[in-house]
Amino acid sequence: MLQPYIPILLLIAFVVANAILILGLSHLLSTYRRTPVKLAPYESGMPTLGDARERFSVKFYLVAMLFIIFDIETVFLFPWAVAFAQLRPLAGVLILEAAVFVAVLAVGYVYIWKRGALQWD
Amino acid sequence: MGLTGPAVRRPREELASVSAMSPNWITTRLDFLTNWARANSLWPMPFGTACCAIEFMATAASRFDLARFGMERMSFSPRQADVLICAGRLPFKLAPVIRRIWDQMPQPKWCISMGACASTGGIFDNYSMVQGIDTIIPVDVYVPGCPPRPEGLMYGILLLQKKIKGESFTDDSLREERPVGPDGLYLPPDRVDELSEPFGNSISQTRSA
Amino acid sequence: MPALSPSIPALRDAFGDVIERALVSCGDTIAYVRRDRAHDVLAWLKDTPGQEFDYLTDLTAVEYRDPERPLEVVYQLRSLARRADLRIKVALDREEPLEVRSVYDLWRGADWLEREVYDMFGIVFQGHPDLRRILMWDTYVEGHPLRKDFPLRGHFSRAEQTRQALAANPEAHYSLEELSIAEAFHELPRDMRERLRRGERGFVR
Repeated sequence: MLQPYIPILLLIAFVVANAILILGLSHLLSTYRRTPVKLAPYESGMPTLGDARERFSVKFYLVAMLFIIFDIETVFLFPWAVAFAQLRPLAGVLILEAAVFVAVLAVGYVYIWKRGALQWD
Repeated sequence: MGLTGPAVRRPREELASVSAMSPNWITTRLDFLTNWARANSLWPMPFGTACCAIEFMATAASRFDLARFGMERMSFSPRQADVLICAGRLPFKLAPVIRRIWDQMPQPKWCISMGACASTGGIFDNYSMVQGIDTIIPVDVYVPGCPPRPEGLMYGILLLQKKIKGESFTDDSLREERPVGPDGLYLPPDRVDELSEPFGNSISQTRSA
Repeated sequence: MPALSPSIPALRDAFGDVIERALVSCGDTIAYVRRDRAHDVLAWLKDTPGQEFDYLTDLTAVEYRDPERPLEVVYQLRSLARRADLRIKVALDREEPLEVRSVYDLWRGADWLEREVYDMFGIVFQGHPDLRRILMWDTYVEGHPLRKDFPLRGHFSRAEQTRQALAANPEAHYSLEELSIAEAFHELPRDMRERLRRGERGFVR
């Protein structure tokens, strides 16, 4: 049952082993010449000013969240399309079901649009 | 200010025994391979401050292509650079910057001092200019000129490639980090004074009260 | 002799013998002004309708080779509307402290120009908001480089200069405004604000 997947698993195993081998060998065979200045963050040759941890704008989170929602909606439509092909006699009911699903999400879409969540600035 | 500090090194047992070995066919073949790879893929960090930087850009451009020597990709971060090309005069105010950038470059690293100002201070023998970056960082190749012609810079780069091809990976002294000492200097003070002494026409220029 | 700028008779009317002398050199009018009233003269030149020297082209200083001649602070003014130039010079006696009142309140551009004059000549500008060195580093102790009694190569040996240069931290004394963090200061995380307020600069772990 899992027969077709064996080549993929082999490939994954080989890739992981290769990566570990390369990194491990270079770690083992190398010399480390660490000095405190060498390890300091690079800031054009100047001593650093503060750290790099900045607060992210919440816009990115918002866009990601909205994308997930509508992407999942699309994902749900794929099996629906496959089932539609196999359930031809019930065409009307199936279309109605899909229309209700999309309409609910469309109401949500209009809501976020009017609330300005799609404005980047 | 963080420029001093011991170089922490973990010597490997294998490398220690290899460097104690006398050169044999395997190490020389490995040397050849390593040096060939290093010399033909030198990624420069252009530390361009003045006119020599323009000549460096001209050398990298299409007429006097530097890419054919493997120097295609200029690295403006010291972390990914092999050779620091100091192109231009260096004021004392910029001295800690170049020292820090040199310290932040990982081994193996080399330095080309391009132009008269980087090599000796050039025409600027005064209160504000470093009289040669070799008082601050170790230099491998000096390229004279004001500014050097692109052909001159390429000759310097080829000289560096020849120097690299003569190295050996078993020689740890080549890859030693020499940080700034606790007195704040990279070289002993009398050596700095000796390197910065006026010469040529500068001897006659002693304007003071 | 080419004519003096029409501002000179107006200045003489307004200030009398505060204007010590006026001359024309290579087509430029130069007026020598007494030190104690210099700021008033410059403010009058800037604000009076008919003069309107609203652009400070340059602010610099001169020390002549002849030790008898005083130091001079030079103000190069321009009226953008009238397209007129004028040079004002203020002579500073070497025996007295080298001080003159800052024109930062008249022309904001004088900020860095006066810092450069202070750095190179040691002339103190009273009333300047942030008078510190600009070309040499903040903790530079050799002196004021463009003075005639400053040797060309500096007072210290090259080794000492190199040591001091390597020990200087050019960013330590920058103001928050220069680091352009001032506008965004309230948006920074609290611990970073605290560190900046305490004056803490980079550290090496």
